[in-house]
Amino acid sequence: MNRQFLLIFLLLAAASLSLALGQVSVGPAALWNGLTGGDGAGALTVQILRGPRVATALLVGAAFGLSGSIFQSLLRNPLASPDVMGFSAGSGLAILGALTINLAIPMPLIASAGGLLTAILVLALARPARGHNPLEGAPAVTIVLVGIGIGFTAAAISSFLMTRLTGPQAAEAQRWLAGSLAARDWSHVLQLALIGAVLVIVLLPQIRNLRLLELGSELATGLGANVKRARLGLAATAVLLAAAAVAIAGPIAFVALMAPPLGARIARTADVGGRLLAAALTGAIIVMLADLVARASLPGLQLPIGVMTGILGAPYLLWLLSREIERGEL
Amino acid sequence: MSAISLRTESLCVGYRDRSVLENLTIGLPAGQSTAILGPNGCGKSTLLSALARLLAPSHGRVFLGDADIHKTKTRLLSRQLAILPQFPIAPEGILVGELVKRGRTPWRGLFSPWSATDTEICQKALIAVGMEGFAERPLSELSGGQRQRAWLALVLAQDTPLLLLDEPTSFLDLPHQIEVLRLLQNRNKNAGTTVVSVLHDLNLAGRFNDHIVLLGPDGLVTKGPPETVITPSNLKKAFDLDARVISDPVTNRPMVVPL
Repeated sequence: MNRQFLLIFLLLAAASLSLALGQVSVGPAALWNGLTGGDGAGALTVQILRGPRVATALLVGAAFGLSGSIFQSLLRNPLASPDVMGFSAGSGLAILGALTINLAIPMPLIASAGGLLTAILVLALARPARGHNPLEGAPAVTIVLVGIGIGFTAAAISSFLMTRLTGPQAAEAQRWLAGSLAARDWSHVLQLALIGAVLVIVLLPQIRNLRLLELGSELATGLGANVKRARLGLAATAVLLAAAAVAIAGPIAFVALMAPPLGARIARTADVGGRLLAAALTGAIIVMLADLVARASLPGLQLPIGVMTGILGAPYLLWLLSREIERGEL
Repeated sequence: MSAISLRTESLCVGYRDRSVLENLTIGLPAGQSTAILGPNGCGKSTLLSALARLLAPSHGRVFLGDADIHKTKTRLLSRQLAILPQFPIAPEGILVGELVKRGRTPWRGLFSPWSATDTEICQKALIAVGMEGFAERPLSELSGGQRQRAWLALVLAQDTPLLLLDEPTSFLDLPHQIEVLRLLQNRNKNAGTTVVSVLHDLNLAGRFNDHIVLLGPDGLVTKGPPETVITPSNLKKAFDLDARVISDPVTNRPMVVPL
């Protein structure tokens, strides 16, 4: 029934492939040697060059997947995710702004502030219609559409800021905006792992609320959830998860959108907890594979990972939109 | 189960700038079943929402025993008072058994394991609605009547002394309406649960309830046992309906014959 193990297997396979393949390929023996702490050329490739990169990809993907899964459950809409709703773009803009004025604050903090501010702005603009059930808040589609608009605005301001940057700073910012896992070391991994662990600990006690909110706000209240507070807590956690990933890898698009439905389908799980886990695993797999293809497909050239996820994600988004329109949801 | 009464005191509720109910003081007799009746738009569901703390009053208060429910922790209330909204949302792919299990949430700690008592109460809830064989079936595959009974099982599993239901019989055909009302009647008689439902059908409401709250366009018309509430003059006031009321040949409850 539950096939999470299939996702775990796929994750291990993707991680092994990502560690072994690249400009220089490493054989199974050297891969094992590297993983078990040995030395030699192949082992060092695994430990120093690719290890941190693959670990970053895993954590970034898992954070995006979790974030998307929370939003999609919360808003009961497959279009809901931090990238589509502009929160990632908001985090990205904040980081670019900080780069422009040389602000010396840690990236994850700046990204979190940017993401949260964007979310507050989106929620403030997406006010429910008059006479709407006060418990329900604005309809999901309104929030998503307002978010798309805010996202475009943030992206446009980011493009403007890009023109103000010069030299190597500009090149770095350009690469980061498209999403990149190049030159990540173990300090990045540790940073993201710590933030991720804290956010997961914050998320765990909220899963019960998410499960109740799925039944609609009235029944959720009847079953003891403080609906407004529960929604705020979950949304903030999801925004922060995405912001942490954006701070490390840039606003990689479509992972948070695609991972939850794909994961739920592969793992064949309907429960909230199972779906969260499946989305995290699937997000990790998507980012690792996208990064692998981005750096190993064209010899001598590293594509930004955002290009790869875009090639997969854009058609999926179009398909989702056309389905929503057919169903009369948009 | 001890009977705790739910009552309102000068209750005023509405949405934004539109006031729906004004200055309503009523009590819902503990251990009895009450139907809230009235024409469309008179505020039946609004009253139920206020009673269930889903809607905060602009003035006045709602008391459960001695506690103002809008000042009581929602989790504590969820052990006293269950609500079945008119349009609950079914999570995609959910099985009937999983749905009913969610009714146990108020009684369980955040990470406490599933107990034998929980299993037993869920099982009893499924038996009470006649769906003991359906635990492994997806909710989406059920008929309308079965689905409504599955939702009822969820609120029964919540195991509360009070049960509020918003139009539990709408969209059901007559036999299924009676099935649901009978089930609620059994729960009321056997477990002493106070049942409050918003209903549309005057005859069924009079037949299956001990107490009626009749609302009209201008608020409360009257309240009391079906025989004293369902009368031609009250129906005229509440619905602007010309009708005769006879006593039904089976139970002697009031039966409305529109003119």
